Amino acid sequence: MKFDTVIMGGGLAGLVAGISLQQAGKSTAIVSMGQNSLHFFSGSFESMTEPPQRVADLFKDAGIGLHYRPGVRLMPLGTFKESAMSLEDIELFPSEKFARRVLIVNFQGYHDFFSSFIAEGLEKKGMQCRIRFINIPDIDPTHQAPGEMRSVQIARTMDRIWEKVVQEIRLLLKDEDAVILPQVFGLQDISVPGRIRQSLPAKVVFVGTMPPSVPGVRTQMLLKKRYQLLGGTYLMGDEAIKAHVHEGVVHSVVTRNLDSHYLEASNFILATGGLFSKGLVSNPFQLYEPVFGLDVEFAQDRNTWYNPAFKEDQPYMGYGVKADEKLHGLVEGKPLQNLYAIGSILGATHPELGSGAGLAINSALVAVDQILSEK
Amino acid sequence: MNPNEFDVIIIGGGITGAGTQRDCAMRGLRTLLIERSDIATGATGRNHGLLHSGARYAVNDAESARECIKENMILRQIAAHCIDETDGLFITLPEDDLGYQQTFVDACRNAGINADIIDPDLARRLEPSVNPELIGAVRVPDGSVDPFRLCAANMLDAKLHGGQVRLQTEVTGFIREGDTIKGVHTHNHQTGEDVDYYAPVTVNACGIWGQHIAEMAGVKVGMFPAKGALLIFAHRVNNLVINRCRKPSNADILVPGDTVCVIGTTSTRIPFEECDNVAVTPDEVTLLITEGAKLAPSLSSTRILRAYAGVRPLVSADNDPTGRNISRGIVCLDHEERDGLKGFITITGGKLMTYRLMAEIATDAVCRKLGVNKACETAITPLPGSEEKSYEAVAQKIWETPSMAQKAAASRMGTRAKRIQTGDRRDEDLICECEEVSVGEINAAIERMDVSTLTDLRRRTRVGMGTCQGEFCACRAAGLLAKAHGCIERERADLDDFLQERWKGNFPIGWGDTLREAEYTQWVYKHVLGL
Repeated sequence: MKFDTVIMGGGLAGLVAGISLQQAGKSTAIVSMGQNSLHFFSGSFESMTEPPQRVADLFKDAGIGLHYRPGVRLMPLGTFKESAMSLEDIELFPSEKFARRVLIVNFQGYHDFFSSFIAEGLEKKGMQCRIRFINIPDIDPTHQAPGEMRSVQIARTMDRIWEKVVQEIRLLLKDEDAVILPQVFGLQDISVPGRIRQSLPAKVVFVGTMPPSVPGVRTQMLLKKRYQLLGGTYLMGDEAIKAHVHEGVVHSVVTRNLDSHYLEASNFILATGGLFSKGLVSNPFQLYEPVFGLDVEFAQDRNTWYNPAFKEDQPYMGYGVKADEKLHGLVEGKPLQNLYAIGSILGATHPELGSGAGLAINSALVAVDQILSEK
Repeated sequence: MNPNEFDVIIIGGGITGAGTQRDCAMRGLRTLLIERSDIATGATGRNHGLLHSGARYAVNDAESARECIKENMILRQIAAHCIDETDGLFITLPEDDLGYQQTFVDACRNAGINADIIDPDLARRLEPSVNPELIGAVRVPDGSVDPFRLCAANMLDAKLHGGQVRLQTEVTGFIREGDTIKGVHTHNHQTGEDVDYYAPVTVNACGIWGQHIAEMAGVKVGMFPAKGALLIFAHRVNNLVINRCRKPSNADILVPGDTVCVIGTTSTRIPFEECDNVAVTPDEVTLLITEGAKLAPSLSSTRILRAYAGVRPLVSADNDPTGRNISRGIVCLDHEERDGLKGFITITGGKLMTYRLMAEIATDAVCRKLGVNKACETAITPLPGSEEKSYEAVAQKIWETPSMAQKAAASRMGTRAKRIQTGDRRDEDLICECEEVSVGEINAAIERMDVSTLTDLRRRTRVGMGTCQGEFCACRAAGLLAKAHGCIERERADLDDFLQERWKGNFPIGWGDTLREAEYTQWVYKHVLGL
């Protein structure tokens, strides 16, 4: 199979690259293992503030609302974090004290939303909190198998029955000027969070749950849908395992499922993620990149990979493949001319491109611009 | 009666202390156990969890071997829910001397241990994970034991017999009148309270820390701190304990336990200052993996879950630099006879396997001092939870058609699992998916088993011991603890401590899937949840 560009990895970086290239008329394929870091996306695009217009348009065309005003957002354990570019359903406040009185609503038997931690965090900032558990028969834990009360399962039901939740909250609400709800709304129907906001006489704040992240999963689904709508080929549940490279040029990649049907292309984008996503692999002696054998930046002495304090920054989390300023991946110091490494596989090797979701988008755009500037 | 007066005070919440408290309480004494942190935090919770047949000691230390096999048979009867009767192999590899096998078998039989030479082919069939190169195999009645569960069950039974337990409470000094110890000064690390407790007899059951406690009382007990490092693998690759049939050496025992298996150990003398914070070194990790793969080659490609180390409470004898040749024998010191100090006993040496016998010896000494004449019954009375042998039968009796999670609960709690059957389906929801621990089991532990932190909860329920190492369940369990204790701020700090404790065991083996999981945990807690 032959494409203009083959993209390995269907996370944020791979999808942004794929959509941009399809829009520019290129034919592309994305090879995706399925789960990716969007499944534990906080909803805020780390290290990104005002994005270029084309990024804003890209998300808008995919049906994903964003807002850019810098502020603080409330985290699932009741702390606050400075954020800027975020999904529409992530509330950003100018200051931490965003209300006087807050009603925190949780579901009976739901252990993945940390309402008491949130209450304590808000009370520290001078807000009065009341926690109430509501019992909705449709998600009553007594009707579920153990282990079923998880964010995505609940969100599937909520798309259907969110109005019942609104009714319950209307009864519970006293003089609170804000209501906090777990982020389990709008998985398939993106209009739901907005409609809940309109239905209640208080500011509605959706706060994250234990992953999987419902807004993250939704973002992934919408971007994928947009990519496919633009004619992109999304190879789900597959992964690149080997590449054919000759004199610094990648000719094709071999995937696990397609076997002898190599994926050929003029350009290749490696967006397979970091250690967690298996874009990088570690053993007791080294970190390596398993598909192309790209050079990886890491310390030789394993004892320096870690900080013994869990909370501190961990050196290993900054390790990534080596790439030149155009993001061509390097093998033994020499660039592969038509391979671009983007997203978290870069680790912290290109700090100017940011980190997290910011790095994913910025580096995807660098690669796309390179590819489109070719004759 | 003064509520701070007892017949006997036991210092140390490891298996020796818990066992001694149980024995004393069963003989009708009013007991108090004092522990500076939580149960099983010393050597008790930091070993293989091997139910020794005694075979390992048969050649060099016949007395220990005899004690082991006798206690092995007793524990099968009284601690069924803490024990897995797996059997064990002593294998000879091409690099070992096959001639040692006969010496070994003779010594075992001498000590009363059933040791049968079996064909290497049979060994490969019985234990498919064993190194196929083996040239000899001996089958012995080894098994595995959950030391946390065993310790908790002893303490629970002591409480059922009226005993009192003060965890997070440190002995800061002794109340001494002339040549007699009358009690202890204590400081509670949680409440900050200082309380004095009185008893005519105090038992020092502090393992390696017993030297320090003895010093505080004004007597000298020379201990030899020998560190042993171990690795936990994420799968139970073997079903039989696998040992090397040679003189005891490094990393030559692989023990299956619950869903995992454990390779160990090393033996290194360390300074006393390090006992509170033993770390596993890269060299130890390398040695454990290399030697472990000789027992079961698949270990070299199995994910390692955690590295940890404990300090053996060996009693100093000679100048043996490794501590391997010191007897693992039991030492019970009546300091009145030895040092002229009345009301003070030290029970030390020994090992997890012989804790019950140690407790019996110590309790006999206590009873002599108090003029109590009652026979020990701990060898014939099952621990709470162990009244039935098969956990599957237990689960069936409680739930009729038990789920996997309910069976798991029955395997951990034995007959006590009926306590978590509240009739509320909400209590059946899972908090820890790796180990299948339910809301009900966690709440039962919080209520009745002196749990104050997540790490305490882990020791009693296995929450966070599975492959995810607490990534998901820590937060959920923290929610339940916060509710029970009514203090979020404390729970926030507790969550920090729990994750730090997990990381401490992860980074020495931080590569492959372990590092993947750690990266995920670090990312989720820092960036997604906002800890």
